[in-house]
Amino acid sequence: MTHTSSSGTVRKGGTAKRNGRGLTGLLLVSAPVALLGWLIIYPIFNAVARTLFTAGDEGLHFSLDTYQRFFTDGYALNNLWLTLWVTAVCAACLMAICLPLALYLRFAKSRVAAVVQGLALFPMFVPSVILAYALIRTIGPNGGVDLVLNAVGLPKINSPYLTPWGPVIGLVWDNIPLTTLMLVAGLGGVSDNAVEAARDAGARRFALLRYIILPQIGNAMLVVLSFTVLGIFSAFTLPYVLGPASPEMMGPFMQRTFSQLSDSRMAVTQAVITFAICACFGAFYVRSIAKNREARR
Amino acid sequence: MAQLSLKNIGKSFDGTDVIRDVSLDVADGELVCLLGPSGSGKSTILRMVGGFETPDRGSILIDGQDVTLILPEKRPTGMVFQSHALWSHMSVADNVAFGLKLRRMPRREIQAKVADALGLVGLKDYGTRRVWQLSGGQQQRVAIARALVLEPKILLLDEPFASLDQHLREHLREELRDIQRRLGITTLFVTHGQDEALALADRIVVLQQGDLEQVASPDRMYRAPETRFVAGFIGSMNFLACDMRHGRADHPLFPVEAPVADGPVELAIRPEALTVAPARAPQAKVHRTTDYGSHLLVDIDLADGTRVKAMCPPSARFAAGDGVTLTADRVTLFRGQKKLAEVSPRPARELSHA
Ligand SMILES: Nc1ncnc2c1ncn2[C@@H]1O[C@H](COP(=O)(O)OP(=O)(O)O)[C@@H](O)[C@H]1O
Ligand SMILES: [Mg+2]
Repeated sequence: MTHTSSSGTVRKGGTAKRNGRGLTGLLLVSAPVALLGWLIIYPIFNAVARTLFTAGDEGLHFSLDTYQRFFTDGYALNNLWLTLWVTAVCAACLMAICLPLALYLRFAKSRVAAVVQGLALFPMFVPSVILAYALIRTIGPNGGVDLVLNAVGLPKINSPYLTPWGPVIGLVWDNIPLTTLMLVAGLGGVSDNAVEAARDAGARRFALLRYIILPQIGNAMLVVLSFTVLGIFSAFTLPYVLGPASPEMMGPFMQRTFSQLSDSRMAVTQAVITFAICACFGAFYVRSIAKNREARR
Repeated sequence: MAQLSLKNIGKSFDGTDVIRDVSLDVADGELVCLLGPSGSGKSTILRMVGGFETPDRGSILIDGQDVTLILPEKRPTGMVFQSHALWSHMSVADNVAFGLKLRRMPRREIQAKVADALGLVGLKDYGTRRVWQLSGGQQQRVAIARALVLEPKILLLDEPFASLDQHLREHLREELRDIQRRLGITTLFVTHGQDEALALADRIVVLQQGDLEQVASPDRMYRAPETRFVAGFIGSMNFLACDMRHGRADHPLFPVEAPVADGPVELAIRPEALTVAPARAPQAKVHRTTDYGSHLLVDIDLADGTRVKAMCPPSARFAAGDGVTLTADRVTLFRGQKKLAEVSPRPARELSHA
């Protein structure tokens, strides 16, 4: 009752009031849009422009020389491949670890599940640097694992520290909490009744997962994949501390190109290439989500 | 086709008994309604029959075979849930076909069976629709088709129409009743609506706090409630507290006689068992009348402040404040939960003539 009457007065209040509202709305929106333009859109165009134009004797002129250098340089390409490889392996490992974990957290009704949930979230609160240090102390040369093995008379492990597996282990560990959280959230959309109805129809564990649960959390998995891919692609700390010196991942590579080789234009080119790959993935992500949404309508 | 027996079933959650000690036999082709207030354990019983919960005590038999520990995926039962149980990523036909596909049935046969099942629930041309394109009532029909297509021995339904509006609910209830009769499938139906139970059931099981309160046919349940709880839960009932003295109730309006020990009792009288007549020396006053078309419901205030409901023919004319007298055709006496006696007092008019 009060609701209808109040909306009636607004309408009677006329266009002036509505215009006022529209203006406020525009102002409210303009702040984030301006920030977006200033801090994200402008730097992107600026960076791209810097890589495409070089200052010669007779002013600026168009040139693709840094891109050419990047794509003909075996070392740079190796770095790009390594980054792609680490990203793919991390995504696969994360899915393999977090999906069972999330399924357990969603469907187990025991008290243990709550404890597991707490444990799974814990790494989220540990800063990457400390995590890297802890990993070095455990699986690094003469680390905790080696000490234990030595004590029982076994040979040392082939330490993953400073190999491509170093950052893989670190990044997977670092990403488990968020990935699990997102998958659990996705699984929350699968109703108990839907699962029980499938069991009633004769679906055992595998069929349940394959035909009922996975198809229903497609979107959640897509979100998870994009988050991990985007995050890992641009990761710096863990690859820098745990990864090999050569080839190296794009994060440390850019940093070194910039500060040690003082080749800022090349560093920006590397950044633009990284950005382009991430943007492709982002576009794919947005398209799939939109397609799923449309199918729902 | 199939016969279901529950033998001394018990179930606790977190140390509290949700189902105490329930035994029930459902005959072949019978439709039994589990009726009770929310939280009385109806769903728990149904889920135990379906295999989704395991009883702590007792056993469940289908056609004499013990299925207590058999997983739901292997049990010959089909369940229809209250809501949100269809698989939204599949078409309607795929939803119905899912169980048949798991059984590796030839495609032709699956298509034929799916078409039959959808025809049975009146959704013949809806096979290619997506689940979210259906209305709530249509979704529940699909759920019923999905359960029936696997030809279960026992059909289980857990408040399948509870989220639908009244009109649709009544319509679907009749359809379900027809289908159940036609297939002759043994059915257990959970509801908290007494009208639904009265309309559907061959037999009603009234549950309260995990105990069977009464098992009876709908008309017995209505006309001869065995406990005060059933009397109050099924249909509407007037309860009047008074004392018994020397085989006679000391209620000023209804001094019924019954061979009952002295002590407090409650007189239970159905609204339709009350006859209202205008009076010059009124015992009670009309508070309000509600015209339902088919009958008139009259709220009446007694001298002691209690309010009773009486059902009158639509031709009756009463206005608020009118003085009336009341007579009862049929009174049931309860003490605590227990039924003591059922009496048909002679109308007061005859008494005065004698
Ligand atoms: N999985 C469960 N865990 C704990 N308690 C439960 C569970 N299922 C049901 N209960 C409890 O059992 C009682 C009966 O529940 P239910 O059978 O769903 O009642 P109804 O279907 O009659 O409303 C309720 O008090 C409910 O809280
Ligand atoms: Mg229930």
